[in-house]
Amino acid sequence: MQHTPSSPPLRRHFRQTRDRLATALITAGGIGVIAAVMAIGVFLAVEVVPLFWSSTDTPRINLETLWLPQDYEGHRTPVHRWQPAMPEEGGESRFGMLPLVWGTLEAAAWALVIAVPLALGAAAHSALFMSRRLRARLKPTLELMEAMPGVVVGFVAGLVLAPWLDVHLALGMTLLIILPPGLLLAGGLWARLGAGLRRRLPMGWAALWLLPWLLLLWGLSSWLAPLLEAWWFDGDLRAWLEVSLGLDYANRNAIIVGMAMGFAVMPSIYALAEDALSGVPKSLVEGAEALGATRWQTLWKVVLPAAGPGVLSAVMIGAGRAVGETMIVLMASGNTALMTASPLDGLRSMAASIAIELPEAAPGGTHYRLLLLAALLLFVFTFCVNTLAEVVRSRLRRRYHRMGGAS
Amino acid sequence: MPSVIRQRLWAALLVVASIVWASPVSAEEPVGTLGTVGSDTMAGLMLRWGERLARQHPGMRLQLQASGSASAPPALTAGTTLVGPMSRPMAEDEKAMFERRYGYPPRALVVARDALVVVVHRHNPLRSLSRPDLDAIFSDGRRCGAGDSIERWSSLIEGGIEGRIAPHGRNAVSGTHELFRREALCDGAFRPEVSEHPGSAAVVAAVASDPRAIGYAGLNHLTPGVHPVALRDADGALHRPEPAAVRRGDYPFARDLRLYVNLPPGESLPGGERAFVDLVLSPEGQSIVEELGFVALPREVLERQRRRLGLEALDS
Repeated sequence: MQHTPSSPPLRRHFRQTRDRLATALITAGGIGVIAAVMAIGVFLAVEVVPLFWSSTDTPRINLETLWLPQDYEGHRTPVHRWQPAMPEEGGESRFGMLPLVWGTLEAAAWALVIAVPLALGAAAHSALFMSRRLRARLKPTLELMEAMPGVVVGFVAGLVLAPWLDVHLALGMTLLIILPPGLLLAGGLWARLGAGLRRRLPMGWAALWLLPWLLLLWGLSSWLAPLLEAWWFDGDLRAWLEVSLGLDYANRNAIIVGMAMGFAVMPSIYALAEDALSGVPKSLVEGAEALGATRWQTLWKVVLPAAGPGVLSAVMIGAGRAVGETMIVLMASGNTALMTASPLDGLRSMAASIAIELPEAAPGGTHYRLLLLAALLLFVFTFCVNTLAEVVRSRLRRRYHRMGGAS
Repeated sequence: MPSVIRQRLWAALLVVASIVWASPVSAEEPVGTLGTVGSDTMAGLMLRWGERLARQHPGMRLQLQASGSASAPPALTAGTTLVGPMSRPMAEDEKAMFERRYGYPPRALVVARDALVVVVHRHNPLRSLSRPDLDAIFSDGRRCGAGDSIERWSSLIEGGIEGRIAPHGRNAVSGTHELFRREALCDGAFRPEVSEHPGSAAVVAAVASDPRAIGYAGLNHLTPGVHPVALRDADGALHRPEPAAVRRGDYPFARDLRLYVNLPPGESLPGGERAFVDLVLSPEGQSIVEELGFVALPREVLERQRRRLGLEALDS
C-alpha cells in the first residue's frame, strides 16, 4: 500500500489504525462464528456421550438397541420402534432411531424428487432462453419464495393441501399423469407454430405460452378424473389402492411433505443453479454458437458440463435444507414414526421429533440425550453436505476464472 | 392448525396475565406480582383466575409462564415460583428433588378436573367402544386383553363406514398422551401409525376432517365437527364423557388438575398466594373452570382443601 507523500502523517496513522481495527474485528467475528459452530458440535457430542456410558441402567442404550430391530412386547418378530418417553413404572421404552432417520431421509428424498427437476429446468430456461426482462422479474419472485417461513408452508400443506388431496385424490392422480406429458406436448406445439405467431411470441417469452395450456389441462383433468376413477378403479380409488396395491392412503403423507418441502427448497436450488449456469463464461457459449450449435446443443454439450459441479452443489444445498427443515414436516407429516417405503404413509423426521419432544424431556435424562443424539446426527449431516457443496462451488469459481482468463 | 401456533406462543412467551396497576390499597390488601410456572393445559384457566384476582385485589397481578407441566417442579425447587400448575401428578424423582432442597414435600391442591374423550368424525356411526377394542385400535402390545389389533372399521362396526382406521393423538411426553397411555392402553405403547399432533385442538381438527379417523382429546376441546364416543364396560354399562360423570368419578379417563405450592408444614400461605388459592377454591373460581370446559370440583372437596389450608369456610 503506497500512500501519497502529501497526506499528513497523523491522518495516515489514523487510517492505518482504522484499517487494522477493522481487520481485527472482522477476523475476530469470523473466528467467533467458527468457534460457535464448533461449540455447538462439541456441546452436542458431550451431552450425547453419557448415553453410552451409563449402559448399566435399566433403559439400556447401545448401538444395537438404537439401530437394530428389537424384540418388544406384543410382537413376534423384532421391530423398529421409537417410543422413548415411557415413565419408569410402566412400559418399556423403545429407542429405535432408524424410523426417524428413515423419515428424515424419505421426506428429503421426496422433496428433491419434486424440487430438482422443476428448479433445474427453471434455472436452465431462465439462464439461457428467457428474455432479460422476464428473467429480471422471475428471479426475484422465485427468490422471494425462499423467504416464505416454513410454518406458513407447513400450515398450507397440512390444513389446505392435505384435506384437499384427501377429497380429490383421483384428480390429484390424474393431474400427476396428465400434466407432465401434456406440458411437454404443448412445448412441442410451440415449435410448430406458424412464423407469424412465432414472431409475436419470441423465444424469451415462450414460458407464457404454457400458462393457458396449464389451465386447459387442469380443466381436462377435473373432467377426466371421475370417469377414470369409475372405469379403472371401480369408483373408489382409495379402496382400489388398498385392495390391489396394499397401499394405505394416510391423510398426511410423504407425498404432501415432499410437495410442501419441495416448494420450500426449490428457490435455493434454483438460485444457486441459475448462478452456476449463467456464470459459465460467455466465451464458451459464444464459441459454441459460432460453430453452429443450437441453443439446445449449447446447453447440453457446453453449459451443463461446465456448470455441472455448481448444479450438483445447488442440489446438495437443497438436500441439506430439506433434511434440517422442521416446521413443514411437523405440520404436514402426521409424525408417525413408521418405516415403510410407501409414499402414501406418514413419516416422522428427526428435526420434528426434536421440536415436539425436547421442550418436555427432562434435561439430562435418557430421552433428552437421545434427542440431542438426533440433533448431532442432523448437525453432522448438514455440516458435511454444506461443506462439500461449498468446496465444489469454490472449485467451480476457480475454473470459471481460469476459463474466462484464457479467452 | 392455529392451535400449534397458539401452543408455541403459550410455551415460548411470558404471558402477563393482567396488568392492573395498584390504586392506593389498604394495609391488609395483598400487593405485588404472583409468578407461576407450569402446565400449558391449564394456561387458559390460570389466565382467567389471574384476571379475576386482579379485579378482586387491584394491587395483585399474576404472571404466567406456561411451558408445560415438566417445567413446574424445577421452578418450584429453584424457588423462582411458589405456585406451579401441573396437569399430571408430580413424579417421585421430581418430588425427591424438591424435598432434598427444602426438607418437606410440595403441597398438592386439586383445583379442577379434566377428562379425555375419544372422538370420531360427526358422520361416523360409532357411538360406544369397549376398553379392549379401544386398546386394540391404539396400542402396539394390546395389554388390555384384546386378541388382535383392529385396523379396519369393518371389524369394529357393521356398515356405515369402510376402510382403514386412522388413529390420531397427542405428541409423546404431553400429559394427555401419558394419561391416555396409562388408562386406555393399560400402560402399553402406542402403535407407530398413530398420528401425533402438538395440541388437543389439532387432534380434534384432524378427526373432524376425516370420516375414517378416531382420536382422543381433552374434554374442553370438543367441537361440533366431532362426536364423543362412550366407553363400554365388561358388563355392558356405558360411560359417557359428561361433566356430571367426571365429577362423580364414574368416567374412567379423568385426571385432576393441580396446583403445587411450596408451603412449609404448619405455616400458612403468604398474602398473594393465599388470595389466589382462596379464589381458585371458591365457587367463583370453579365457575371459571366450567366456563372453560373443564369439570368443577364437588363442594366437599373444596371445603376439605380449604380447611387444610386454614382458609375460611365457604358460606352457604
